[in-house]
Amino acid sequence: MTFVYAAALAVGLLVIAPFIAHLLQRRRADERPFPPAHLVPPSPPIARRRRKVDDRALYVVRTAAVLALAALGATPFVHCSALAVGRTSGASIALAIVLDDSLSMQAETGGRTRWERAKKAARDLAGGAREGDALGIVLAGSPPRIALASTTDLAAARTVLDNLTPSHRATDLEGALELARSLVHGLPQVDRRVVLLSDLSDGHPDGPPLSASEDIALWVPLTDLTESVENCAVLRADRQRDRATVRVACSPAGAGRRRNVEVYARDKLIGQSKIPEEALAVDIGVELHDASGELVARLSGKDAIAADDSAPILATAGQVAIAIIADPASSKLATGGAPPVEQALAALELDMQVRPLPIVPDHAEELAPFAGAVIEDPPGFTPEARRSLGAWLERGGVVLLALGPNTALAPLGASFEPLVHGSIGWGPSPVEGLDDKSASLFGAAAGGLADLRPRGRSNLDLAALGPSAKVAARWKDGAPWLIERAVGRGFAFVLSLPTSPDESDLALRPAFLILLEKFAEAARARNGAHRTTVGETWAFEGAKSLEVTGPDKVRLRVTDEATSKTVVPDRIGVYEISLDGDKLVRVAAPAEREVDLRPRPVAPQTRSASLGDTRARLDLSPHLAMVLLALLVAELVLRLWARKQGVTSEEPSF
Amino acid sequence: MSSCATCSCVPWPLSPYLAQSGAKEGRVRTPLRSIDWGSIAPLRLRARAVAEGVYAGAHRSLRRGPGVEFGGHRPYVPGDDLRWLDRRALLRHDKLVVREFETETDRGLRLIVDASASMGFRSRAAPAAKFAFAALLAGALARIALASGDPVGLEWLGGQSTRSLPAMAGREAFERIIGALESVQAVGDLRLDSSAVELAFRSIARKARRGTVIVLLSDLIDLPDDTLERFTALASGGRVLIAIQVLDPEEALFPFEGTVRLRALEGDALVETDAQLTRLRYLAHLNQVAERWSRALTDHGGQLLQARSTDEAADVVRQTVSAVAGRFIPKRDAR
Repeated sequence: MTFVYAAALAVGLLVIAPFIAHLLQRRRADERPFPPAHLVPPSPPIARRRRKVDDRALYVVRTAAVLALAALGATPFVHCSALAVGRTSGASIALAIVLDDSLSMQAETGGRTRWERAKKAARDLAGGAREGDALGIVLAGSPPRIALASTTDLAAARTVLDNLTPSHRATDLEGALELARSLVHGLPQVDRRVVLLSDLSDGHPDGPPLSASEDIALWVPLTDLTESVENCAVLRADRQRDRATVRVACSPAGAGRRRNVEVYARDKLIGQSKIPEEALAVDIGVELHDASGELVARLSGKDAIAADDSAPILATAGQVAIAIIADPASSKLATGGAPPVEQALAALELDMQVRPLPIVPDHAEELAPFAGAVIEDPPGFTPEARRSLGAWLERGGVVLLALGPNTALAPLGASFEPLVHGSIGWGPSPVEGLDDKSASLFGAAAGGLADLRPRGRSNLDLAALGPSAKVAARWKDGAPWLIERAVGRGFAFVLSLPTSPDESDLALRPAFLILLEKFAEAARARNGAHRTTVGETWAFEGAKSLEVTGPDKVRLRVTDEATSKTVVPDRIGVYEISLDGDKLVRVAAPAEREVDLRPRPVAPQTRSASLGDTRARLDLSPHLAMVLLALLVAELVLRLWARKQGVTSEEPSF
Repeated sequence: MSSCATCSCVPWPLSPYLAQSGAKEGRVRTPLRSIDWGSIAPLRLRARAVAEGVYAGAHRSLRRGPGVEFGGHRPYVPGDDLRWLDRRALLRHDKLVVREFETETDRGLRLIVDASASMGFRSRAAPAAKFAFAALLAGALARIALASGDPVGLEWLGGQSTRSLPAMAGREAFERIIGALESVQAVGDLRLDSSAVELAFRSIARKARRGTVIVLLSDLIDLPDDTLERFTALASGGRVLIAIQVLDPEEALFPFEGTVRLRALEGDALVETDAQLTRLRYLAHLNQVAERWSRALTDHGGQLLQARSTDEAADVVRQTVSAVAGRFIPKRDAR
């Protein structure tokens, strides 16, 4: 206790001053002679009582004001259950707060969700920040995002925190921590820290412990967020005729006992099935009776997270479909079976339907069910095929065209419009493979393309391709090997080599699978993907107008990219999309790993008491100053009120 | 307490009113010292100066009958003195009319001065006690009347060492009146001694001649309940009644703040009150008293005049003379 502290408290002794003043005021008035005293009415009892009450209120207010003044002078601190960073040297701190806004943070215990607790802790940290401290905020929902770049404007940080809302995304703790470290890395503050406010449930309970980097400390203060809770979620639900397949995940194992999967058609139960005990993630078949209209799969009972207990059931026909248009005679394997591109797509397990088509349809409606099409070594397109292909591409179709020897056999009137302009020839390749530097999109797998040993190759006229075409990879002699071009909302990959192993070793190289993955991703992103994971960006290439309405009838923010418009669904549910006048429906489903609520381990030093305290020392001075101000205002009001009452009572009663 | 009663340890203005004995017991207090004349002393010179500032003028007698100046005709009624029958009018108009004459005659002035304990009150703002101011008015009126040759008499309500003076004229009369006024001590409770009022009024009723002007100088606040009726009864016989209510400025304005404890000088009234809350009600009560006196006096041809001890005495005397002449003096706003 310092001298100033004691002296300030001693001011509190002045509390007896108003008491003495009131005693003096309450003393009997001096008696004085007044001849017409019998004409003077005594004070009415009501007025006298009122005055007494006024005096008492004034006394209380003045006493409280003196006490508040004394306490204010003492500048007291109190310990309260708030989060505060420890300051060893008293210097300013650069702090990056990683706030987990994922689905698992919606788990509710004790009447409050984990998100609310974490947000309150973040507010405490921001409230305890001092002038000179830098504050940054990162959201750990996948993909990690910067909600606020490091700033010393603490008011802005508090505003951002107040406006944050939870999401149903998956968790990416490592990515979020990297982002947070990058926020505080170059700041002038010597003391740089990352505070992780998360339940640590990122689906990797067996992953390496999260720990601090060399120069940036990591503090994981909220241990109560990792308390074990039980939760089950409907990941997806598909329907095939009178049977629905519902994928359910539970955490921990056994959380689904005595719970059922129920299927409703407009609130009418049309089928149910029991969740197997001790199951973490399982596909459950449900027989449907009188299924009509929109179906919803729900879990019976209650658990920690209610948002993931139901999901709309999609028809299997609604799955993304890829058409394979290849001549079995030319595109075949020595071992037999489907063409190599079809087998490769199946091997990738892309959750897509792959269906062969004999030729390019003459009508666009026949291509409409497909999100993408792989056209293997066609001898050109007839005018009808070109028209239907062009219309389908304009509406978002994605094509992978592999040019082969048949290009030289194109009949009269056939061409490769609208995918490739100009004439295409076929001939022996002067080089054996690709320039791996130009094929960087394949990453490390580009090396395998240097030795394709093709029997021949298509000769694409680069000048005739037009400005919309982009060469993604080249032969060693500089000729284009892979061309990408946007056509309307659709997209086209044009490969100057067929996939048949008879023509080259392309189908045997890892880069081939990467190429198919990119093709499938483009097809899914543009059109076919009716169900994606929450947080996954929906890109609409070439879209002119786009409106997306979320499950709570909230319109999502559309971001304009260079050639596309994108939205990010961050909540589970059905989204209604209006794309250039067309109505679409998509579903955002929870990530399977997000349902695993087992916490990720953290290094012991991240819990060190030196990093901070969950019981902060709070300076009461500003609050006391406000109390003092309020008391002064109260005294003023009381005095005015008493004066007004006095004037009112002076009105003659006769 | 008794040893301190006359010493200076008691602050003014309490000291004049502390009881010589019995203050501790809370009994009625009586003044111990003579009147606090303040700036009004010496009364003789002040009264003369006030009187000289007032133009009185000659006044006509209301008495009709034998005289030197013709006063008009009136119809004859049986019993009239036949000496005043106008024979010429009888011959000319064949009507019996009687001639009347006016004569300048003396018009007596009877002063009734309240010398009860309440009249000894003086506040900080007042130049002197109420009695002193009333005595000044009485002296000035007496001087004016005597200068006109009218006889002046003096009666008392309450008081100690009082000397009633019969109506008399001449130079000696003024000196005797002033001497009587100066020798009085304001003491006594008229509420408990209504006989004093009765005695004073009975004496005037018996001795005052027709047309006599009767002036009552009092604060009108501690008088017995029947005082007004007794006073207005004097109006018979053509007498003119004037009451001058003399108040201290504290009594007239009630300028107190906060809680005050007020003790009456007559009676045992002790009131504790919030001055701000009750000021208007007190003033209303005071106004009721004045209103009652004013209405009753007006009904009997008289008037009530209100004066404060801070007023100019000459103005009050001038109003009194005007009231005697029959001019109406508007009532003063008590607020």
